[in-house]
Amino acid sequence: MSENILKELCNRVLNLFKQTETKEENAKDVACNRLRVVLMQDRTNLTPELLQRMRTELIELLSKYVEMDKDALELNLDQEDGQMALMLSIPVIRAKDEEEIEKALAADKNKETSEDSENEEDDDDDDNDNESDDGNSDENTNNESEEDIEITEESESQQEENSEQPEQHNENQENNG
Amino acid sequence: MTGRVIVITSGKGGVGKTTTNANIGTALARAGNKVVMIDTDLGLRNLDLLLGLENRIVYTIVDVVEKRCKLKQALVKDKKNPNLCLLAAAQTRDKSAITEEQLKDICEKLKKDFDFILVDCPAGIEQGFQNAIAGASEAIVVTTPEMSAVRDADRIIGLLEAKEEIKSYKLLINRVRPNLIKTNDMMSVDDVVEILSTDLIGIIPEDTGIITSTNKGEPIVNDEKSLAGIAYNNVARRIMGEDVPFLNLEEETSVIAKVKKFFSNLIGKEK
Repeated sequence: MSENILKELCNRVLNLFKQTETKEENAKDVACNRLRVVLMQDRTNLTPELLQRMRTELIELLSKYVEMDKDALELNLDQEDGQMALMLSIPVIRAKDEEEIEKALAADKNKETSEDSENEEDDDDDDNDNESDDGNSDENTNNESEEDIEITEESESQQEENSEQPEQHNENQENNG
Repeated sequence: MTGRVIVITSGKGGVGKTTTNANIGTALARAGNKVVMIDTDLGLRNLDLLLGLENRIVYTIVDVVEKRCKLKQALVKDKKNPNLCLLAAAQTRDKSAITEEQLKDICEKLKKDFDFILVDCPAGIEQGFQNAIAGASEAIVVTTPEMSAVRDADRIIGLLEAKEEIKSYKLLINRVRPNLIKTNDMMSVDDVVEILSTDLIGIIPEDTGIITSTNKGEPIVNDEKSLAGIAYNNVARRIMGEDVPFLNLEEETSVIAKVKKFFSNLIGKEK
């Protein structure tokens, strides 16, 4: 009995050590990473709220053309050789076919005409907030998104069999929108 | 004589601006330079305490600006070193008592008589900071390996970069704790330099001697045995244009290693 208890205790203690060694990032790395993020925001005046807004708008826009894993979409500010860059990584499930895109665009147009009068003021504000940082970041975002799309277009044929999925997804989108 | 005007600034308070000022100033003066330190922290003056000159102040920078005395009358000579002077801040006024133009003017006048004019900047990025950097052409940004201090230093660096008159700025990392860096509990000097991408002018180890030296009103550079004192002396030598290698603090974890290093430094100096 007592032996078992001792063994278990030993194991627990050992596990504790293992956990702290492997799982926990050390304080220095946490500090460095947090600092990098916060400095990037300080330097560009891009607040987390603005990034979130860009994210939602980008998802809205790109959803017309591709079906993607919205939760895994990453939009981050990064720095390389002193140059600030907006890095956008979009895990694409599949590219939409022409019909779907047309449909989405048409739906979008309808939405615009009906909501135009209400949202005009808000739209103006958004433009002003993001304008200052447009210059550098656009190229990077474009490049990366293109790459991602290309990769998944290759695998398109495999996924085409599941013809039901995209329709479901469209419904979801309309609900979200 | 045209002196160099160097502002010592940090953004965040409590990282050691004033201590740095007192020590670099004293070290520069010990090396034979004529040095004047200007405390621009109106209302919260402390440089006089660190130098042990608090009882000798008759006139302050505000008295000079408001023409109650001549500039030379307001300069307080150091107890030990006749090369060293202090132009104290007024304790009863606030930052609005002087303007950028007035400070610039004072710096210009002092340039004629001194090799170095060290301006001690208040914390923050408001008018006090703007005043302090007004007359300077060089800056030393003091930070510690802590997130808040590094973030504030980054702000300051941004502001200095935007200021045309500042021709160069360097980073001084204060209160470095090699033991914590070794266990990955604190950002290393390299981490901070990389994040701020600014050239280093000094690495000062955390040293309890700073507390006693402040209490006594005697800058730690006067104590040649202290590691922080050696580090500050090295900063002064770098300012004078010497190429001095940085102390490798991360190796020195044991007391024995420290003692060894100290002696090897001494031998190195005598050569």
